[in-house]
Amino acid sequence: MTTSRNGASPAPDSAVTTGISNKGLRVGSIGMIGAVVIGISTIAPAYTLTGALGPTVSAVGFQVPAIILVGFIPMLLVALGYRELNSRMPDAGTSFTWAARAFGPWVGWMAGWGLVAATVIVLSNLAGIAVDFLFLLIAQISGNPEIAEITRIVPVNVAVCLLFMLLATIVSYRDLQTTQRLQYGLVGFQILVLLVFAGAAVVEMMNGNAFDPSPVQLSWFNPFEVPSFSAFAAGLSLSIFIFWGWDVILTMNEETKDPDKTPGRAATVTVFLIVALYLLIAVALLMFAGNGAGELGLGNEDIQENVFFHLSGPILGPLAFLVSLAVLTSSASSLQATFVGPARTLLAMAHYDALPRKFAKVSPRFFTPGYATIVSAIVASGFYAIMRVLSENVLTDTITALGAMICFYYGLTAFACVWYFRKQWFDSARNVFLTLLAPLIGGVILAVLFVTTLIDSANPEYGSGSQIGGVGLVFVITVVIIVVGVVLMIAQRIASPAFFRGETLGREAPASARRRRTT
Amino acid sequence: MSGDRVVVGYTATDAGADALALGARLGAALGTSVHVVVVLPSPQGNVSIPTAASYDRLVEDTARGWLRDALARLGDPAGIRGHVRYAHDVSDGLVAAADEFGAGVIVVGTGGGGPRGRHRLGTTAEELVHSAPVPVALAPEGARDVDPSVGLPRVTAAIGTRPGADVLLDTAVAVSRRAKAPLRLLSLAGVDLPDRIDASLTRLTGHAHAESVLESVRADLPAGIAAEAVVGTGSDIEDAVSRIEWEPGEIALVGSSRLAQPRRLFLGSTAGRILRALPVPMIVVPRTSEAS
Repeated sequence: MTTSRNGASPAPDSAVTTGISNKGLRVGSIGMIGAVVIGISTIAPAYTLTGALGPTVSAVGFQVPAIILVGFIPMLLVALGYRELNSRMPDAGTSFTWAARAFGPWVGWMAGWGLVAATVIVLSNLAGIAVDFLFLLIAQISGNPEIAEITRIVPVNVAVCLLFMLLATIVSYRDLQTTQRLQYGLVGFQILVLLVFAGAAVVEMMNGNAFDPSPVQLSWFNPFEVPSFSAFAAGLSLSIFIFWGWDVILTMNEETKDPDKTPGRAATVTVFLIVALYLLIAVALLMFAGNGAGELGLGNEDIQENVFFHLSGPILGPLAFLVSLAVLTSSASSLQATFVGPARTLLAMAHYDALPRKFAKVSPRFFTPGYATIVSAIVASGFYAIMRVLSENVLTDTITALGAMICFYYGLTAFACVWYFRKQWFDSARNVFLTLLAPLIGGVILAVLFVTTLIDSANPEYGSGSQIGGVGLVFVITVVIIVVGVVLMIAQRIASPAFFRGETLGREAPASARRRRTT
Repeated sequence: MSGDRVVVGYTATDAGADALALGARLGAALGTSVHVVVVLPSPQGNVSIPTAASYDRLVEDTARGWLRDALARLGDPAGIRGHVRYAHDVSDGLVAAADEFGAGVIVVGTGGGGPRGRHRLGTTAEELVHSAPVPVALAPEGARDVDPSVGLPRVTAAIGTRPGADVLLDTAVAVSRRAKAPLRLLSLAGVDLPDRIDASLTRLTGHAHAESVLESVRADLPAGIAAEAVVGTGSDIEDAVSRIEWEPGEIALVGSSRLAQPRRLFLGSTAGRILRALPVPMIVVPRTSEAS
């Protein structure tokens, strides 16, 4: 944090040196390729697609490619605002700190909560997908397809998932890092397998072996073919999820070898790579399986929650285990990359007294947010266990709820950018675009998506059709998460009011550079 | 040795407190400055998790806070300074810090939650005693509780019978002279070795051999340095070390193995076994000095 608490700089009297000689300096060391690798392993395309493709098809049918293209727009607009905030106020609390600076403590707290909730949900979903593919991989290697069905036994599924979470927690807590070479290898393997998978689907379709051959049509790329606005909104909020994580590249400034150029270039390369990969897979699988509700059709609710799980065998035959391996490694590295998000935000919130002090504890041996990491893991595990019991289709419902939570906190962050820079909007044409138009439009889109998803998901038929008391499960999850956040916020206000009085993190708005020059 | 200052590898743990207490005591006894260093992981080469400079800065501030608290607990002595450094791993960072501050010794803790008065080498200590270019001092569990006022009551040098002891002896003499601490020479040549058949005969000849080695070493000592000599006896090295009387606060000097590369440490098997039973801090000294 550049600004320490209360805005006061630490006492210079002590015997602890603050300067660092160039020897022990923390240097920017990440190059273009390194940044792209971090981006791709955070996004985890293999995991993301197997989880999100089904729910997206169920929302928009054949127009998935169109939604993927359109879905990138709000993500990009918000990420631009995110980058402005990050360069102006670099802070480990990100959305939390920025929203608190712009709108005050209450909104800031809820933005932090939204970020933590979204990442905790995705942790549980990641581990859930990994469990499915672990059993599938064992089944494929041993040649006994019944093993893949073990994942449907709820207690076994939950137990294995908790084991995965435990492993991921240990890795994150101890900051165990894979070597550069291994990480490059994993990302390369993931992309290669996805290409082979898409290629095989197309070849099978050409050879007449497809389940439901559907020749590619131009209309698949036309967003206006989506039947209703609700469907469009649902699809869009899912496609925001598939790009989620991409923004980390844009904000890696000081870490890169060339802060002016590397992040922008790496982000561009990554997004082209990811979009191409997504379009290829989406088109190939639609060509192979069609949109019907038949056994392997992408419209079949039973396969939607985990598309690759059901389609890799029919498409790749004996090589299907490669897909399982790619999804497993992709979830594993994404699990590690995702874990740091909620833990760092919780730590930053506690640093400003917005949470109990325990959350601010940095592990003295591993220098990770130790307490916050463990709490995140426990909550994510609990969330998964409860959802697994409550939901008929846990993965679909968590992904949809996740889309809504991302819209919630990303939207708040976008508005925080607009409001924080309000005195500087018209300083330059660049500012008009990056601090006003881009985040405002992005924020409005996300807000509309959030509200639409919320209203639609109240319908018990929404998502997987799971419901509680006649209300859709996704709606219940989203509302419960927000209400729990409000309750915890009020509890913290009573226990420790300093943050909520603005004593630790005050509102501010940087003055216009133009006015300063003229006066 | 590039210098005579003390570098302490610190973490905000009991092992870190052990290292700091020993480092402070060594610094005071030798009349030299002490540099307490927290080594943070450098993001160099990390491509597995998104890095955030803002989080790293927060950790850096936290580490400075740990150092401030630790020095305050010692009463902020003059001559002790805290620093934060980044390195790929802690041992690399400490070796670089030793170079930067002109240190003649790197102090690390070896408690790791083990029983009191025992050494248990963690990753960092293990790497240092097998590669460091300067002597490495190992602070056992509980070193933090030694009363700083005992200073350095005695310096014991474990003398072998093979070449390589010269630098060790020079270092021991220098430390003893500078800290005005009595010197004690220890030989473990009387210890039974499992491959010998007649244990009592071995003990007798071994003991006689040890006595003669100690005598010749004592004869070689510079004028004005008196040294008491002791021969360790027992069924094995651990047994012999634990039978010897150790004063609280004294330090044991052990030479590096012949397997070491020039000007690098390598903890030999005998030294490793001494460490297992040793209730006081051990300093591992390279076989060859930088001058040679």
